[in-house]
Amino acid sequence: MYVRALPTTDVNRNTEWFTYPGVWTTYIIIIFFSWLLVLSVFHCSPGMAWTIVHLAHFTVTYHSFHWKKGTPFGDDQGIYNRLTWWEQIDNGKQLTRNRKFLTVVPIVLYLIASHTTDYQHPMLFLNTLAVFVMVVMKFPHMHKVRIFGINGDQ
Amino acid sequence: MITIPYLTAVSTYFSYGLLFAFGQLRDYSRRIFDWWSTNNLHGYAPICLAHEDFYIRRLYHRIQDCFGRPISSAPDAWVDVVERFSNDNNKTLKRTTKSTRCLNLGSYNYLGFGSYDEYCTPLVIESLKKFSPSTCSSRVDAGTTSVHAELEECVAKYVGKPAAIVTGMGYATNSAIIPVLIGKGGLIISDSLNHTSIVNGARGSGATIRVFQHNTPAHLERVLKEQIAEGQPRTHRPWKKIIVVVEGIYSMEGEICQLPEIVSICKKYKAYVYLDEAHSIGAIGKTGRGVCELLGVDTADVDIMMGTFTKSFGSCGGYIAGSKDLIQYLKYHCPAHLYATSISTPSAQQIISAIKVILGEDGSNRGAQKLARIRENSNFFRAELQKMGFEVLGDNDSPVMPIMLYNPAKIPAFSRECLRENVAVVVVGFPATPLLLARARICISASHSREDLLKALQVISKAGDLTGIKYFPAAPKKQEEEKDTIKLD
Repeated sequence: MYVRALPTTDVNRNTEWFTYPGVWTTYIIIIFFSWLLVLSVFHCSPGMAWTIVHLAHFTVTYHSFHWKKGTPFGDDQGIYNRLTWWEQIDNGKQLTRNRKFLTVVPIVLYLIASHTTDYQHPMLFLNTLAVFVMVVMKFPHMHKVRIFGINGDQ
Repeated sequence: MITIPYLTAVSTYFSYGLLFAFGQLRDYSRRIFDWWSTNNLHGYAPICLAHEDFYIRRLYHRIQDCFGRPISSAPDAWVDVVERFSNDNNKTLKRTTKSTRCLNLGSYNYLGFGSYDEYCTPLVIESLKKFSPSTCSSRVDAGTTSVHAELEECVAKYVGKPAAIVTGMGYATNSAIIPVLIGKGGLIISDSLNHTSIVNGARGSGATIRVFQHNTPAHLERVLKEQIAEGQPRTHRPWKKIIVVVEGIYSMEGEICQLPEIVSICKKYKAYVYLDEAHSIGAIGKTGRGVCELLGVDTADVDIMMGTFTKSFGSCGGYIAGSKDLIQYLKYHCPAHLYATSISTPSAQQIISAIKVILGEDGSNRGAQKLARIRENSNFFRAELQKMGFEVLGDNDSPVMPIMLYNPAKIPAFSRECLRENVAVVVVGFPATPLLLARARICISASHSREDLLKALQVISKAGDLTGIKYFPAAPKKQEEEKDTIKLD
């Protein structure tokens, strides 16, 4: 089964890999396999495993999308040094398909995690906190906003 | 258009994810390790930021032996590749005194001028004795010799423009000329896969840069319409100047630019066309005059024609050809002309002699033979590779053919396997190409004979089987079917 790869107009090499086909599927497959891994390592209930996956996903995506700024290449000469990865994708355009997909994934994870733990505390509280922060960070109004100077420039 | 099998795309992303995760883990442990050990560099700022260097340290250095291999002979059809070894897992490589003779599929030696030539080399040696290796001065001081003047005339006549200016370095031609042509208040629309020299020149000029989808004239028209309607950012005043930058042959795709459509769109919207013929001059077209000759575009329609002499002419440096007014303006304003050392005189003589050979003015028909041979070789090689089931990019007649690899692990595997069989190929990976689309780029030369190509095909087929890059089904062998029908009769 073949797909066509159209060349993109994104010049930022840090984010243009996200525009090619197959990324969304790989993302979902990685999440699913990490759930299987957690289940086999910790021998916990499926609901607990989904909660762990959800919280780990929150930590990893918070750090890589919304905390780390700039690009891993020196020859971009620091033009993106003030922008996090989330602010760089799609050239800063809001509400594109990629952004909508990346907002929906934590919400779906939250729904699965809460459903499989039967909405019990303390998992419900942690999950809700995580998804609330995740979704608020991805609002178009939060573009380039640094609350209380957290993660601001020196 | 690149067609990827879906499973390959998913597995490539997964591999890169794994490499990235391991790189981060190693960086983390390195940071803990360094925190424990003492060092007397207290108070010194780091030379480079840790995250900027990440790709080079954790991905590129692991397969460093596939890139930048030193050679110890002229880059002809066969070349001596120096053997290297590493004691610390490819972080540093040490040269040995041994070298292996390999078939050279990586040099841009399109017309075979890369080594001793019976017409050019004696003239170059004569000019070396008469003029010395370097002029040691810029063009305006004492760096213009009679050879330089002859070269500029010769290039202008060859390309089909009234005048030309020549600089000592091909990369610097783009990065020093574009800022002179356009400044703040202008608009540069460049193809998404343009070379880094053009990107650097455009960024250095201060003009606004917009990108259009690779080789898609319809998208170029849409971008032009949008930008002309919007005007300059914030003030919305009309643009002072619009330049559209395209290349003749794109070095990573082997595709030829759709010049006639692009030129007609630019004429309609009154934008200037800047054509970078680094790979196409001397290699395509009936008399080697580049993409304009191949596609039948009048050279008067292309405003600025740029090219380099490193590929087909076996020399160094670059040129810009245009109207007399343009070249006069560049001679007064371009820093590469005013301050940089001029092109070395023997190299200039090599270019003049190479052009004479191509045009047949040296009294033989070697030029026409070379042009016919490179076209034949490229078409034969590409057809054979496609029959074997490889995914090969590029148009017919183009001497550059990338073979798609995709997975990051296949990059060093293919390169090392080919080197073991004495074939030297160039593999390209992430920053030079998109993440998903790593490739092995083959450059065919007019000095490759039919036996060389057959050996190359055999080695590439074997390496391709081992690494699993025959993504398309191989074409069925027709000869065996014919033999069967004859036997039945």
